[in-house]
Amino acid sequence: MRPATLFRLSTAGTRTDTLRTVLTGTSAALAGTVMLAAVTVAAVQGGEPLEQPDGTAWLAPGAEHYTSPLLREPGLRPGVIFGLLLLTLPVLALAGQCIRLGAPARDRRLAAIRLAGATPGQAVLIAVAETIVASILGSAAGLGIYLGLRRILHEPGPGGSLRLPTDVFPDPVPLVAALLAVPVLAGLIGLIMMRGVAVTPLGVIRRQRGRGPRPWPGLAIAVGILLFNVPVWLSDRMVLSGYVFGALMLAGAALVMVGVVVGTGWISYTAGWLLHRFGRGPVTLLAGRRMMADPWNGSRTLGALLGATVIGGAAMGYHALFVTQGRAEDRFSVLIGMPPDPEHAAFYVNATRLVLIAVGAGVAVSAAGMLVALAESVVSRRRTYAALTAAGTPGRTLAGTLLWQTLAPLVPALGLAVVSGLVLVRSLYHEVTVGGGTTETCTDPAADPDTCARTVQTDPVVTLPVPVPWEQLMLLCGGTVLTMLVVAGIGMLVLRGSTDLEEIRAV
Amino acid sequence: MTTPLLTATGITKDYGATPALRGVDVRVTEGEIVAVTGPSGCGKSTLLHCLSGILRADRGSVIFRDQDIGSWSEAARSRLRRTEFGVLFQFGQMVPELTAAENVGLPLLLAGSGRREARQAALDWLDRFGVADVADQMPGAMSGGQQQRCAVARAMVTRPRVLFADEPTGALDQLNGEQVMQAIVRTVREEGTSVVLVTHEAPVAAYADREIVLRDGAVDPTGLGVAAP
Repeated sequence: MRPATLFRLSTAGTRTDTLRTVLTGTSAALAGTVMLAAVTVAAVQGGEPLEQPDGTAWLAPGAEHYTSPLLREPGLRPGVIFGLLLLTLPVLALAGQCIRLGAPARDRRLAAIRLAGATPGQAVLIAVAETIVASILGSAAGLGIYLGLRRILHEPGPGGSLRLPTDVFPDPVPLVAALLAVPVLAGLIGLIMMRGVAVTPLGVIRRQRGRGPRPWPGLAIAVGILLFNVPVWLSDRMVLSGYVFGALMLAGAALVMVGVVVGTGWISYTAGWLLHRFGRGPVTLLAGRRMMADPWNGSRTLGALLGATVIGGAAMGYHALFVTQGRAEDRFSVLIGMPPDPEHAAFYVNATRLVLIAVGAGVAVSAAGMLVALAESVVSRRRTYAALTAAGTPGRTLAGTLLWQTLAPLVPALGLAVVSGLVLVRSLYHEVTVGGGTTETCTDPAADPDTCARTVQTDPVVTLPVPVPWEQLMLLCGGTVLTMLVVAGIGMLVLRGSTDLEEIRAV
Repeated sequence: MTTPLLTATGITKDYGATPALRGVDVRVTEGEIVAVTGPSGCGKSTLLHCLSGILRADRGSVIFRDQDIGSWSEAARSRLRRTEFGVLFQFGQMVPELTAAENVGLPLLLAGSGRREARQAALDWLDRFGVADVADQMPGAMSGGQQQRCAVARAMVTRPRVLFADEPTGALDQLNGEQVMQAIVRTVREEGTSVVLVTHEAPVAAYADREIVLRDGAVDPTGLGVAAP
């Protein structure tokens, strides 16, 4: 197929198709802007400790004019980049969710294209190409937004100080890579979404497996937590490079996230089975069967949300650790007769707070993706809903079904995500110890330091347990559930519109 | 003269500026099968929707057991369709994730029956329609004829007083259509259920006791419908 033909077929469609393309493009623009921000932070240089030949230490110039230590400190900039990249995940997931928008009309179009002679691969390519084309346009728009924001936000303060790195421009290679990453990743997500979908000349069929998902992702979570601990364990026994240390921890965290997201399929299936087995009324029967019929729907729609929640759980674990560390150091200072330093842990506490804000933003963007998925799920089943309504099924029964379908997999999956994120950190640090060091000094200060008689002074030890941040965890889970309840509420408005009896007659 | 079970008088319904029904009168007596026929777009389905309380007529009344259901709330009309009426469409009525037995038992669950009781009743009805062997199959694994028999079983499981059927054999081949119609007629005769049957197929209309012909939203006084010799 010629590229022009592919472009024409992938951009044809109705108003819903246009809406899908616009939403995908908007998500891509947002993701592109955030990615360019990450690349810009990566381009910031300076602040690294250097040593002169004469032994004097100084800091590399280039970052001292930034007002935020997150940009000034070279050790913290990777964290900022990580946080920004983290934000792109739910945005890209939103772009992926948009692929399902207006699916019935697009399915008919794809079937017609197959009927006209396209191969199954070409049909899938057309569906994915639409996302890629929209993402490329979105990426270009993201570049425009980025350049515009650079101009607007470039406000040098006294002495040339800056709040944001608007004075550095990324190298062309990472810049182009960031811009291309968006359509490539969106296309990949699109391909994953089309997995198990067969485009036939008579329609689009979503393959369903007879057997439900198995709980093996639990193993991935366990291995991920172990892997996260390995570098700390190894560093006590051997010299480990920073890259290996970071890569092992990142791999462990990624494995936990994958385990949680994929494990949601099993959670959804099991929750559906329990509802079907032990539920009494029609609401639990309908919701349970629906969850069992498509258990991966939970993974698809909740994936970004759960990923953000794993990181939220871990950030809360670190937050609790840094707060405890600050308290322990304050107590230690008092014990050795020094005044407590309020800046001890405040900086790290603030940094984790920033990550939590990013997690909050991630939850909000994920909620938008959930809304698209929920609306699409209702619209694609509108004829069944309309027929049930015509047969006298009360609206509250269908609304209750939708609510169960949303919450039954969400609540346990959310719990698993938060606990997994928290366990990642708590498996490493469950208590903080400060002090306990020894200092040797000459008993006679005037004597030769090499041969003098020594007095060994042992510092006091302060050990504090790192508390489980229950309140914050409840806040994260409660906030997320509340957000999803709002999403389900909006979904019910779509449901009301989808029980129009005209749908029964629509072919 | 037999007392009418359902009486519609002067039913008028417009879709925006387009008139769908213009003062239609219909009477259905106990156990009677009435076919509503006519060309496409003449208002057959709209009439069925108004009679069954799915739609509210703009003017006119629909009296069921001495009560004007047109003045009832949507919730009350839904309850009526769940208990006294059965509704059957051409397609799209089976919940794809439920087994045949669960689909058939669903109206009973909605009415407050227990799971076991609903299943037993569903199995009995599936047996009456000759599809007991697919009780635990999903609709996707059934043939069109089997699905439609299950749909009829679902519409009849609450033992409704009136069955409203909108092109019930429209999606089936001739043989399956005949088998489904024979099953419907045999069952409603046994149960004493009245039927309002919308169709444009002469062989289907021939199963009815009486035929009402609609043209341009009004009853055709000549009465020359599709089943007429």
